[in-house]
Amino acid sequence: MITKNNIFELARKLRGINTLKMIESALNVNRTRAIYIIYKLRKNGFVETKYNSDKTRIYHISPQNALGGTSYTEILNKYSPLKLMVSDVHQIYGRVPSIEETLIYTINRRTVRHIIASLALFRKVENWSDLYKRAKKENLVREVVALYDISRLVIPKLKRMPQRFKTLATPRKSDKFRYIIDGLYSIHFKKIEEKWKVYIPLNWDDLTDYRGEFT
Amino acid sequence: MIGIQEQQNLFIRIAEKLPRKIEVYAIGGTAMMFLGLKDKTIDVDLVFKNVEDRKIFKETAILLGFREFSAHVVYGKRDNVPEMIVLGDVRIDLFLFKIISSYFSDSMQKRATQTHEFGSLIIRVADSSDILIMKSVTSREKDMDDIISIVKEGKINWNIVVEESKNQVSLGKESAIMNLGEKLERLTNQKIIYIPKDVLDKIWKLFNRQVKEKAKKSR
Repeated sequence: MITKNNIFELARKLRGINTLKMIESALNVNRTRAIYIIYKLRKNGFVETKYNSDKTRIYHISPQNALGGTSYTEILNKYSPLKLMVSDVHQIYGRVPSIEETLIYTINRRTVRHIIASLALFRKVENWSDLYKRAKKENLVREVVALYDISRLVIPKLKRMPQRFKTLATPRKSDKFRYIIDGLYSIHFKKIEEKWKVYIPLNWDDLTDYRGEFT
Repeated sequence: MIGIQEQQNLFIRIAEKLPRKIEVYAIGGTAMMFLGLKDKTIDVDLVFKNVEDRKIFKETAILLGFREFSAHVVYGKRDNVPEMIVLGDVRIDLFLFKIISSYFSDSMQKRATQTHEFGSLIIRVADSSDILIMKSVTSREKDMDDIISIVKEGKINWNIVVEESKNQVSLGKESAIMNLGEKLERLTNQKIIYIPKDVLDKIWKLFNRQVKEKAKKSR
């Protein structure tokens, strides 16, 4: 008998990636019973279902699924060809963060994988003035424009960034070069680096995930 | 008792009314719910960074129908009791950094990396190793179940537990090491959980050292 009390314990016991067969053997139950257990777990919000390439269902069971909410990484993974797995949890409830917000958060993580993944988000930017405001707040305006220029090289039909954004981002003579990731600079994107006085932590080889992705 | 969904809704409702951004730490049962270790808790435990944030949070909750409640009814005449607010059977304990029998130290704050954002209310969740320490210094029987739950999850960094218990002693919570050792040993002897022997040895070694140092000082 599955009660409200033991359904949580069941979710804890089955925590992780499961298939129907795995649940059958973990709980020593038959297929019908395993389907019923999944149904009960899903009703309580503990199950997220995904599909394998052969269309078998994969159940991600976790008590934390019941918390709901969205994370920046989920949004990023929705649009980026490079999918990220992160250990630090940052969940947002009651609203869905905008692409502009996600882009700034992602750049601010300052890891190579985050920077590569962030390029895909430029395709989805709708509100450039919001992006500028957020970038200015985090002192990332030059970084955003430089990464936009990189994303133009790998993503076709990218929306144009307003000229005003670029004008405001243009570095002064007195401005010094800035690193996105300390100590990392590019061999292949020197021109963009010099234009925006920002060291790009990427080379062509880092962008292989984008090859053919948007064409 | 408050369940996961009710707790989420409560935080969203409070966050909507907050006049500015407030960052708090979740400890105890609330933190365990965020970590997927528990599905309901008697009280929502929150630690505030300063008196002003706590005041704003409390006033906002009162606007939503919460009323003040005497902490001495629950905790008796002890030090560092929280401010309390209740609505129906939901109780929120609002602590500053001193939590009855432990201290939410700087290192505990740094380890609270898991973030849950409810609009203006940002909740950082205490690390499970730190929850274990805080649970071990209380004398409530129900905390034993929580300790078992945390240890069985297997995500405990025992080095953190040992170091933090030492830190608690240096912050003035003298019984921290003894309480931790006693609780863990009791549960191990009852074969309810497994604690690596070297961890228990380390804890008792620390305790012996603490006793010797205290005896030296009192001479």
